Amino acid sequence: MTLFNTIKTALLGLSANKLRSGLTTLGIIIGVASVIVMLALGNGAKAAVEASFKFLGADTVSINRKQVFDDNEYQAVGEILSYVDGLHMANEVDLVKRVQMNVGGSGKIRYRRNVLDMSVAGVTADILEVLVLNGDVQPLGWPTDTPLTQDAFLAAGRFFTPAEVLAEADVCVLGSETAHDLFEGDSPIGETVWVNRQRCLVIGIMAELEATNPDEKYSLSPNDAFYMPISTAINMLFDEQPSVYITARISDQNRMDEAKVQIATYLRERHMIDKDSEGNYQDDFDLTTLQDVIGAEQEAANTFSLLLIAMATVSLIVGGIGIMNVMLVSVTERTREIGVRLAVGARGRDVIGQFLLEAVILSALGGFLGIAVGIITIPLAPRFNEVSAVLDPGSIPLAFSIALLVGVVFGLYPAARAARLAPVEALRYE
Amino acid sequence: MNKNLSHPNPEADATPQSVIETCSLSRVYPMGSIEVHALREASLHVDQGEFMALMGSSGSGKSTLLHLLGCLDEPTSGSYILEGRRVEGLSRDQRAQVRNERIGFVFQTFNLLARVSALENVTLPLLYRGRQEKVRERALVALERMGLDQRAAHKPMELSGGEQQRVAIARAIVTNPAIILADEPTGNLDSRIGEEIMQLLVQLNQEGSTILMVTHDQKIAAYAHRTLQMEDGKILDGDAAQ
Repeated sequence: MTLFNTIKTALLGLSANKLRSGLTTLGIIIGVASVIVMLALGNGAKAAVEASFKFLGADTVSINRKQVFDDNEYQAVGEILSYVDGLHMANEVDLVKRVQMNVGGSGKIRYRRNVLDMSVAGVTADILEVLVLNGDVQPLGWPTDTPLTQDAFLAAGRFFTPAEVLAEADVCVLGSETAHDLFEGDSPIGETVWVNRQRCLVIGIMAELEATNPDEKYSLSPNDAFYMPISTAINMLFDEQPSVYITARISDQNRMDEAKVQIATYLRERHMIDKDSEGNYQDDFDLTTLQDVIGAEQEAANTFSLLLIAMATVSLIVGGIGIMNVMLVSVTERTREIGVRLAVGARGRDVIGQFLLEAVILSALGGFLGIAVGIITIPLAPRFNEVSAVLDPGSIPLAFSIALLVGVVFGLYPAARAARLAPVEALRYE
Repeated sequence: MNKNLSHPNPEADATPQSVIETCSLSRVYPMGSIEVHALREASLHVDQGEFMALMGSSGSGKSTLLHLLGCLDEPTSGSYILEGRRVEGLSRDQRAQVRNERIGFVFQTFNLLARVSALENVTLPLLYRGRQEKVRERALVALERMGLDQRAAHKPMELSGGEQQRVAIARAIVTNPAIILADEPTGNLDSRIGEEIMQLLVQLNQEGSTILMVTHDQKIAAYAHRTLQMEDGKILDGDAAQ
């Protein structure tokens, strides 16, 4: 029989029981959709890793005070990570080239009769470099294909210098919105504002900024900002020493693990942490590198993928058995038809071809619908889990091939059974 | 309708040629611990152009014999030569090919495919062939011979019983078979329509077709040239043609 006639015959066979045929594909739909989403998650993890790469940089170690989950909340343990810890790190730790620090606090900012209660960022002098590196905000209307420059982030004046940070200079740089709210159009440069009743000289105004990613337009408010040297901020805003965030830049990217050991040794010494009875250090800080983030990201994606692989496998097997079942029923129902076909000269391969093709058409239909369901599901995946899913174009032919394979594997037995029928008995079948 | 041009019998030198020759054909069905001898040593000879009737009560073995002759079943013992070619012992697919090319079946219950048109039913044997040329045209010619060319697009449901059997006969002759095997061809039809069907078979026979028909009806058997009686799996009259 020609392929065209075989396909025609198979479609005719399926059309006799449209609902039954349709329901049979459900397992395949779920299985194929799982495959699509699973591969999208793997792809998404890759994209997330690339994004972390941009934020963290391959040469940085992020240092945070350790927190443990206890009593249903995160609680900091041990000593704070102090400004002084960070200050000496570059000198004391061999592989640390440079140290960035920041601390967040809130303060009452006053200029004449205008008062703002706002969050204040205490930062090191290289904050502009960090902003350029992060790239999550940009000057308003910045062309997408042009690399960011530090100068573009400043509208007027200058940023404070490392010397001013060391000297706890009473200087500040205002975000554009903050400047507008306090000065109402007057030039702020050289004016004095009051921060919690202490004088502070305005030396610079930031350019008007916007989120680089339009999706974050409302979650980021980069213009509502007040920058001070971290040393000054600690003096003015805090009654006691706060814990700061430290980012250490390492001189050699290939020695990140070594750098982590050096930083840990340095901090243990400063915090006087000794080995406990089991020979472990009870550190009160966390060191995170890009590698750690990538690992965590992949672990999350892998866990989810594992779940989906299990789901896909089970669904495809169930779907395959469903197809096998429906084909066995179909072969039984159509025993007489098979008898007639055998009588007029159908060979074994003709009958196998007919029923195998019916099974494959069913699974292909499930494959098509499953791919559609998968693509629709992908945007929903991040809502259930902190992983992102991005459609992998290669997953479509793969998932479809899997569906076809299931059709062939599970269609083979019913088809072979049809082809093995004895012509006389098939013709006599009522 | 001169078939011996296309399928010459290499051993033939005299006319008429024999289409079917069986020798001691037997069929035993195992049924649990006992054996049922459905056919016992049937020797039979059918000549080209013959119209033969096989009579007997139900269980006499006539249907078993017909199935063996139609290569739908395999004999337990004995030999079967169809057009000079040994047929017993052929593989499943080889028997399918013999059925497809050399045998036309007409069944009591018509056995048409319900969901396709009359024309498509008639094309069916041609579709199971390697080379497919003028399939539709040949099927239409066969339907025309049965006077059904106007009904080609109708599905079996839309046809009367007589028309359905005529479609079935068209399907049987579309391949130009060596022999038409008819199993109670009028069994499901009233006598007037049955007569029409018999007239068509007689006409096909006059045009050269060899026909072997199973029936239990004396009146129907009377249309044949020769009648063999069967009982208990045996051919009673013997095969005088040897």
